[in-house]
Parts: sequence; C-alpha cells; structure tokens
Amino acid sequence: MKMEEMSLLGLDNTKLESIAHEIYSDLVEDACLGLCFEVHRAVKQGYFFLDETDIESMKDFEIVDQPGVDIFGEVYNQWKNKECVCPNCSRSIAASRFAPHLEKCLGMGRNSSRIANRRIASSNNVNKSESDQEDNDDLNDNDWSYGSEKRAKKRKSDKNPNSPRRSKSLKHKNGELGSNVNTDTFKYNYNSGIYYETLGPEELRSLLTTHCGVISEHTKRMCTRSLRCPQHTDEQRRTVRVFLLGPSALTLPEGDAVVENGSYETSDGPVLVSRLQWDGSSDISPSDSGSSKASTNNSETKKPKKKKSSLTVNSVTGGVGYGEERGGGFSNLQGGFVPSNRKKKNKIPTAPPSSTYDEMN
Amino acid sequence: MSKESQLRALVNQKLIEMGERERLKELLRARLIECGWKDQLKAHCKDVIREKDSEHVTVEDLVAEITPKGRALVPDSVKKELLQRIRAFLAQHATL
Repeated sequence: MKMEEMSLLGLDNTKLESIAHEIYSDLVEDACLGLCFEVHRAVKQGYFFLDETDIESMKDFEIVDQPGVDIFGEVYNQWKNKECVCPNCSRSIAASRFAPHLEKCLGMGRNSSRIANRRIASSNNVNKSESDQEDNDDLNDNDWSYGSEKRAKKRKSDKNPNSPRRSKSLKHKNGELGSNVNTDTFKYNYNSGIYYETLGPEELRSLLTTHCGVISEHTKRMCTRSLRCPQHTDEQRRTVRVFLLGPSALTLPEGDAVVENGSYETSDGPVLVSRLQWDGSSDISPSDSGSSKASTNNSETKKPKKKKSSLTVNSVTGGVGYGEERGGGFSNLQGGFVPSNRKKKNKIPTAPPSSTYDEMN
Repeated sequence: MSKESQLRALVNQKLIEMGERERLKELLRARLIECGWKDQLKAHCKDVIREKDSEHVTVEDLVAEITPKGRALVPDSVKKELLQRIRAFLAQHATL
C-alpha cells in the first residue's frame, strides 16, 4: 500500500535510530512472551518444579546399570520360563506360547477354524478313500467327473492355487464335499491336487480323461485343471498318461492320430518323464533336416538301450515330416510334438494310426 | 505523524517479508539463552508463582510480572548486536 515512494534516505539519524529501537523492543517483548507461555504451560502441566525434587526420591528413580537387569531394575525375561495352566484343556503351557495356544484351544482365533476344517477334511478323505475305493468305482466314474469339473471350474477363478484363500471357497462348499462321497475318494486336499499314488487305474483313467493330470514336480500332485489348462503343455499331459497308465493306454479322448509303438516297454515311463519333462517349446526344425535326420534315427529308437539319445534327438526333429517318416520309436515322442504344430488340438493318440505305422516298419 | 507511522509499518512489513524478522528473533533467543537471561528470568518466575497461588497463575499475571524485568535484564552486548543488525538492514533496504 505504497501511495508514494518512501525512502529512508531522507530521514535523519535519530529517526532511523528510533525505528531501530522500536524494532528491537518488539523483538525483546516477543522473547519475553515466549518465555511466559512456556512457563505457564509447565506450571499447568505440572512439570515446572520437577527439578526441585528431594534427593531421596531422585535416588528411587536413578538409572540402573547392572547386568541382567534393565534400566528400571526389572529382570527382562523372567516370564519366559514360567508355565501357565490352560483353563480349557488343563495343560501346562509355556508363557510365551500361551496366547497362540489359547487361540487354537478355544477355537476363536483367525486361523484356528481354518486349520480345524482342513484337518477334518483330510481325516475324512483318509477314512473314506480307503474303504470306498473298490465299492463305489462305478458310481465314482459317473458322478465324479461332473463334481470335479465343477470344482475345477471354480478353482480356475482363484488367483493362486496355493494361497490360504482357497480354503475359504472350499469351506462354503463343505456341504457338497460332505455329501459327495466321490470327492473324498480322490483324496481331495485343500491345496487342490491329487496324489496319483493312491488312485486305482480306473480312477486314474477317468481322472485323466477329464483333467490335465500333469504331476507337479514340487508337490507330486496331479493338476486338476481342465484338459486345456494353460499351465501345462500337451506334451506334459502325454507324459503323465504314459507314466501312469502305461504306453499302451494312450486311449484318451480328443487328439490327433498319433503312433503308438508296442515295442516300448513300460519301464520307459520314468525315463520318458524325466526326458520329456520340458516345456515342449522346442521349435520344429525345417523339414529338410527333419526328414534326413529322422531316417537315421529310426533304427536307433527301436533299441531300448539307446533310447536316451534317440529321445533327445527326436525331440529336436520330431515335429516335422510326421507323415513321411517311419513310425518306429517315434510314436510317443512325435505324438507329443504334434500339438506344437497344431496347437489347439489335443495330444492324445488313438489306436488305429499305430497299425499303419507298424506296417510301414 | 502518520508518515512516520506509515514508514514504520512499511519497514516492518519489509522485515517480515524478507524473513529478516525471524532471523533476528532466533538470533536474539540464542543469545539470551547463552548469556543466562532465560534461567534468570525463570527463577524469577518461580518466585512469582510461589507467591501467587501456583494452581491459578494466569498468563496475564506472568506477563505483567516478567516482561519489565526481562526487558531490563537483557545484557548490553546482546542489545548492541541486535541494534547493529537492524541498522544494517535498514541501510541495505533504504528505498522502500
């Protein structure tokens, strides 16, 4: 709000001094006020006269500096070794574990219900799978696929198959689970997977008919997603079927005509699993190299001893020139590679083609 | 005179705008603590509070008692230093 230009230059010293003094006294007054407020607050809060406590009381609150004791003089972990008696189960529990134990014991914590349900489900599975497997085979075959497909579909929408959230959705289906005897026989765990070891051949076949079934390396469980589950390749599915059902039992629905070779022994199973357990991402080599190499491989693949090398070579060249080459030992391997050619179709071989290839051989 | 008061107002405004006032304030506070002015005054406060009922001391009471004493107790060196700085500021910013 300068109405005219003001300048201090015109002023004489005394005026300047007076201005300076005014500014100075303002500042001093500010300082005094600040102090007053501080003191007043200290008085009202009660800490203004603290430094005047008598020496005796001062000694009471002196800092303690002994070993094994904190600065207040308390022993810091004397409650660790104490034991408490649980009022629920009357067991003697260590003090530091008492709270979590109570949670589980009273069934009131966050995890206690989850764990209890899991335990019940698994114990049910264990009991029922042993007794019912033989009796309810037929029943199981009919109803099982429907039930599990429903489950499989629901599971697809879950974010992570291994997260604890799974148990929540399954809890709501507890009614289903309980009433469906079938589900129990397949040892359905909350961690969604099936152990192939406990299943009979019939069940395995029916399971593999409708489900991916690829065995996970980490958990040794079979994948229960659909036949087109994106997590596993067709190659893996073939491998699993060969492994579990034997090479002659590649009679799964849907799939291209793939050769089966009777000459393969069932002992191939584990070998195949280990050899072919790759992502099936190997690219198909150009037909030229494929056909030339393939012919040389034919003789090799027939001999069981050289299977390992032949398998690896086949894997590289197998895809192309499928119709031209002689079947021989190619059968399973090529069958596995066909899908990489024609991606959307399924990998399972059927019986008829094998006969033609036998003739060629 | 209104011109003088106007001038003073302008000077103050300038002081604040340029942050010089804050700096001067901090400087003064530091100096007063250094020279023990604060402790002296605090002791005086205690006496005042003890005389009056310590529960019912008001800010106004304290201010009334403390401020004149505080003003008087400021050591000369501090006063001179501050005045010097103020004069320097005025000289620097003579043209408003």
